[in-house]
Order: sequence, then C-alpha cells, then structure tokens
Amino acid sequence: MSDPILQLKQVKKTIGNKQIIKGLDFEVYEGEVFGFLGPNGAGKTTTIRMLVGLMSLTEGDVVIKGTSIRNNYKKAVQHVGGIVENPELYSFMSGWKNLLHYARMIPGISKERIDEVVKLVGLENRIKEKVGKYSLGMRQRLGIAQALLHKPSILILDEPTNGLDPSGIREIRSYIRRLAREDGVAVIVSSHILSEMEMMCDRIGVIKEGELLSIQSVESALQQPEQRDITLEVQQRERARKILSEWLNRPVKIEKDSLAFKMDRDDVPEMIRRLVDENIDVYSVNMYRSTLEDKFLDLIGERAVD
Amino acid sequence: MINFLQLVKNEQMKLFSQRSTWIMITIISVLTIAFGIFMKVDGSMVAGEVPAGPDWKNELREQNAQLTSQKGPEDGIKYSSLTDVRMNEYRIENDIRPTTYNVWKFLHENLNNISILSLFTIIVAGGVVANEFKWGTIKLLLIRPISRSKILLSKFVSVFLFAGIMLVFLYGTAFLIGSILFGMNGFSDPYLYRQGGDIQQAHVFIHTVFQYLISMVNLVMMGTFAFMISTVFRNTSLAIGVPIFLMMGGNSIILFLSDKEWVKYILFANTDLRKFLEGSPMIQDLTISFSITVLIVYFFVFVSLSWYSFTKRDVAST
Ligand SMILES: Nc1ncnc2c1ncn2[C@@H]1O[C@H](COP(=O)(O)OP(=O)(O)O)[C@@H](O)[C@H]1O
Ligand SMILES: [Mg+2]
Repeated sequence: MSDPILQLKQVKKTIGNKQIIKGLDFEVYEGEVFGFLGPNGAGKTTTIRMLVGLMSLTEGDVVIKGTSIRNNYKKAVQHVGGIVENPELYSFMSGWKNLLHYARMIPGISKERIDEVVKLVGLENRIKEKVGKYSLGMRQRLGIAQALLHKPSILILDEPTNGLDPSGIREIRSYIRRLAREDGVAVIVSSHILSEMEMMCDRIGVIKEGELLSIQSVESALQQPEQRDITLEVQQRERARKILSEWLNRPVKIEKDSLAFKMDRDDVPEMIRRLVDENIDVYSVNMYRSTLEDKFLDLIGERAVD
Repeated sequence: MINFLQLVKNEQMKLFSQRSTWIMITIISVLTIAFGIFMKVDGSMVAGEVPAGPDWKNELREQNAQLTSQKGPEDGIKYSSLTDVRMNEYRIENDIRPTTYNVWKFLHENLNNISILSLFTIIVAGGVVANEFKWGTIKLLLIRPISRSKILLSKFVSVFLFAGIMLVFLYGTAFLIGSILFGMNGFSDPYLYRQGGDIQQAHVFIHTVFQYLISMVNLVMMGTFAFMISTVFRNTSLAIGVPIFLMMGGNSIILFLSDKEWVKYILFANTDLRKFLEGSPMIQDLTISFSITVLIVYFFVFVSLSWYSFTKRDVAST
C-alpha cells in the first residue's frame, strides 16, 4: 500500500487529570473512507479536534502527508478540510459570503472555485440566502462545501449525518464515496451509528473510552465470521453445559430452557455427535449469524455474551 | 501580508453583516442630528446675546459687570462664570471679536459623543472573539493554515478600524449637519479655551482634532480591555458588561479610593488625558508622563493576556 495520508502515533489527551484519549494508532490512505465508530463520549470529537489543531496533543504525534502537526502545523493542516461537531456557520451572512470568508483564508481560491463547490453540494439556488434560514441538511452541505474549497487531500467529518433525514444521509454518503473514488480524497467520518458506517466506509475503527478496540475492513467483517451464535435445547442442561464448555473451551450460558454460546459453523455436526454419545437428547439447534452490528455491540460491551 | 488584509476584510464583512452594527451607526446619526437641532433651537434663543456687532467690546464689558455682580451659590456656576469673565477680558485685551455659532464650534461640542463611540467599541471588542466561541464558528476559523496570532491580530486591528470608521462617520455627520444648520463661516477665528488658570487660543479645527485624538485614548484602552476579557473568558456578556460597568463607575471608584496610595495605578485614574490639558488631574501629583507609562503598561498586559489565551489554549467543547 502507498504511504498513508494521515497517521496517528500513540495520540493521547489528558484534560485536567482525566485521560480522555489513551493512545490511538491508526492510518488512513488515499481514496479510502475510514469510519471512526464509537458510542457518545468515546472520544471521537476530541480526537478530531486534535487532528485539526483545535486541541494540543498531550502525547504522541499526528503526521499529515509526511508533516507532523507538532512541528509544522500550517503546512500539515493545509491539506485538511473538515467539520467538527455541528456545522456552525455565520447565520447572519449568506451561504455565499460564508464560503467567501473561508476562501479568503487560503490563497489561490477563485470565485469560480466557490461556485464549483456550491454546485457540487447542490446549493446553487439558495446560496444567496442567509444561513439562518437554512435547514440542518443545507447547513451540513454548506459545511462540506467550506471543507472542500481548497481541494484537501484529507477530509474529516465529525458526525456528518447527525440530525439528517434518510434522504439527507443518502446524499452525504454519495458525496463522500464520490470524493474518495474520483478525487482520491482520504475521508474520516465519525459516527455512533454502525449501519451508516457500514454503508459508506472501507474500514471501520471502533473506539471506546478513548481506546481503539479494533480496525476492520467492512467486507471482511461481513464475510469472515464463521462464528455463529448457537442456542441449543437439550435434556440435562447442566451436564451438557459442562461438556460443551470443556470441549469448546469457552463459556456456555444457560438462557431460559436452552444453552447459548458461540462456535464455528463447521463444528456443529461434531457437537451434536458428542452430545448424542453422552446420551444427551437434543431437541433443537438454532444458529444465528453475527452481524457487524452484533460485533460492534460486543466490542463496546453493551451486549456482552459472557 | 495579502493574507492579513484578507483576514481584516473578513472581520469587517462579519461586522457589517450584523444588524447590531447598523443600529450603532443609526444611533450615532440620530444623536448627532438631534444634537444639531437642539443647538439650533437652543442657540437661537441665546443668539441675541452673542455680542458680535460693531460695539462688541462694550457689550462684553457689560456682560462682565453683570456676571461679577451675581452671587452664584454653587462653585460650579461660579467657576464657569469666572471662566466667562476671563474670556471676555481676554477678548477685549487681544481684540478678538466673538463669533456666532458655527459648524466648527458644533464639531467641537460633538466631542462628548466619543463616549458613545467608546461604548460601541467595547461592544464590538467584547464580541469579536467571544462571539466566535458562542456561535461555535471558532472551530471552522481556526482549522486554516494561518497562525492563531495572525487571526487574533486581524481581529484586534478590525476593532479599532471599526472605531476609526465610526469616528470618521461621527465627524462627517456632525460636519454635514453643522454646516447645514450653522454655516461654515468663522473658520479662521481663533478659538479660546481655558488651560489651568490661563486662557489660551488655538485654531478651532486643529484644537478639535487634537481633542478628538486625546479622547480616543480612553476608547483604545477600554476597547483593549474588552478585547482581553473577550479572549480570556470567551464570554460576550462578561466582555461587554465589565468594561461598561467600569467605564461608567470608574470615576466614582477613583474618588472612593482617592486616599489610597496605589489609586494612581488604577487604569481609570489615568485614561482621561484631557484633564491634564485643563490642568485639573483627578488625583494630586499625577503627571502626564506617569499616566502615559501606566497606560502603556496596561496596554501590554491586556494584549499579552489575550495573545497567550488565544494562541496557547485548547478549543475544547464546553
Ligand atoms: N473540555 C472537556 N473537559 C473535560 N472532559 C471533556 C471535555 N471535552 C470532552 N470531555 C470528555 O471526553 C470524553 C470524550 O468526549 P467526545 O470526544 O466529545 O466524545 P464523542 O465525540 O465520541 O461523543 C467524554 O467523556 C467527555 O465528557
Ligand atoms: Mg462527538
């Protein structure tokens, strides 16, 4: 793979005496949509604030296109466009004046470029109106427009779908995918909603309480797990539980009238054989495929199996 | 450099896109016009008393006789009539004929509107940084490849550029109204004013400009103070309220503390440099060079606190 556009190296943040971010390490590559997934309060916004220079790093470093934000903030951040939390813009000015304002902050952005991004996010008809009159969806789009003015190599969007209706979400998703595919922009999108992430991201990093729990690519997350959730109705539940947990070497729970545990699909016939050999009657075997959602919930511990 | 001008343009664009700015401009125009009309009406009642005719010297002598025979019970009145008497004597001695009211005098009297300008400057300075935090727009402002120092400087410059624009506007409106209502004659007539115990004369225009400039010292100090609170506390109400309160109450505070040794180090004991010109500083043995030193020290403290707070602190969620 090519060099990463963005690299986090053991990024830590302590506010007061509370460590909020506990050493994040990950990379984002050209043309990739990286999902930053975690429940509220996990530390997504704090991390993003550090990436764009709103907050200092307590420890570690962020390298953008080979430049450390610690050593040369201006050079590093010129490749970055972003929205942090809600797209808060000047409500007393028109959308166009808002864009002009940000365009003036970077040399070489022409009026034509402003018109171009306005068109890209589909705000042509309303761009002369005051932002105070915009819907949340329109403000979100204007927020993306200001982030794209200088053709950034990396686009950082903090919960861009927050508060949008399904069609708004679909729209944002299509911009993001287009930017990544056609212009090779590396995109980081944060969210606390997995189903949205699944649809727009190539890879998803799961963060909880300031720690990165895992990074998975989206296809493999859906294909790989031959691990299944099994519920089993048997006689002599207690004995069966003991046999199974010894054999599988993992916990087996008793839920209502059945046993519940995880195992590989391929091992199911063998399990039934064993139980029959032990003279345990098997009434039913039910198998559920874990979805990414289940994996996510397992990871963040809100529905742990064991 | 081009970059910096763009930043200043941005700040001005934001300022002039807000309704409150236009309300301030309207207030200044309305006040100036109202003041002009008041002076016209009021002035025409006393116009007969301006002894500008050929026999003006005798008229002035009569006036003086009348003034000195009066026994004003209050010191203020005594003082002001004493000044009048001295001025009349000075005119007679130096053969300076009194002039009727004109635009130049009107401009000079508009000086008091500078305190309204100070008020508006405090409002703008108090909001210029804190509002970005209040609106949440600070986040998009500070993720550009521009140093925070530069952004802060552009805001600081913008506040006083705005004050300058307002000053020119105030002066321009007053000039327009004054020349319509009172005429432009008398430009070269000497202007008399009291300094210490003496009567001085100066060119009215130069004297007025000088007084405007010296009155701006207070405006700059209070604006910088509001700017500092705006940046350090990131709270608009605080940044507007505290300086206004202190500006209004400053003199009382100084009077209240006037027996303390350290009172002369308080900002407000030093901001009114006009007092030195009039020869009556608020506190004994305060010299103009002492005051200027104190002002410069305050200015640098305010600016350093703002700079430190803006460039070094995190922009965290609240
Ligand atoms: N300024 C702050 N001071 C102290 N704690 C903070 C501050 N900002 C955020 N936090 C804490 O940091 C944690 C992460 O917050 P945040 O990054 O906003 O999470 P997310 O964006 O994932 O919802 C939360 O527990 C929050 O309470
Ligand atoms: Mg957040």
